[in-house]
Amino acid sequence: MKYLYAVLIAVALISLYGWLYIQNHKTPVPEGCESLKPDCGACGIKNCSVRKKYEGVTDHGNS
Amino acid sequence: MNLLTLFLSATLINNIILAKFIGMCPFMGVSTRVKSAVGMGLAVIFVIFGASVLSWLLYQFVLAPLGLDYMKLICFILLIAAFVQFTEMFIKKNSPSLYKSLGIYLPLITTNCAVLHVALDNVAQGYNFIETCVNSIAVPVGFMLMLVIFATIRERLEGNDVPAAFEGNPIAFIIAAIMALAFTALNGLV
Repeated sequence: MKYLYAVLIAVALISLYGWLYIQNHKTPVPEGCESLKPDCGACGIKNCSVRKKYEGVTDHGNS
Repeated sequence: MNLLTLFLSATLINNIILAKFIGMCPFMGVSTRVKSAVGMGLAVIFVIFGASVLSWLLYQFVLAPLGLDYMKLICFILLIAAFVQFTEMFIKKNSPSLYKSLGIYLPLITTNCAVLHVALDNVAQGYNFIETCVNSIAVPVGFMLMLVIFATIRERLEGNDVPAAFEGNPIAFIIAAIMALAFTALNGLV
């Protein structure tokens, strides 16, 4: 029974995350915020997922 | 533990960046401008507080009673990721101006290990609800304080003649090391 609870909790949290992720991506970005990019160019981690996402629009940094 | 002691300890003495070296990625990455540092700091305060309190509630009322302590790591990671998604969606819908200043830092915070550290630390230290709230505010306040101080120094450095070999990250690491040394002086405060 204990393992069933563990699986149920994990599934519930994964579902919650998945649902919120979809809802968040369905929500339109407010006007004027379409081309925002994080100012994290001082970080040298080239394989960071955030950096890769904004690589096309980043005009500074160490890479 | 006295709440003021807990606050001062978490903010200054056991500072998450300078004493524990956690959350170094945004500390080095988002510290070139004071404005960015303030935005990042505010977003971190909000996310750490919300995610830590939710994690504590999940642990105390679900995981601990069911004897599922070993699940806390995976549960907290999922909860933090879900909370960040919710926060981003909420800000997008309700406050475009806030989204403009903070929203862009939310994806960065998901990968900030400081958030997970605070959630796990609250449980490991056996804090009650009030202590959890105080610790969850104090740690990110300490984070923001260091981030803003560091960004201020880095901005001023731009106008100075730094040797070519030390430009950029090398001089930043040296400054961080000096700051860490300076803050060890506060060890006897509490």
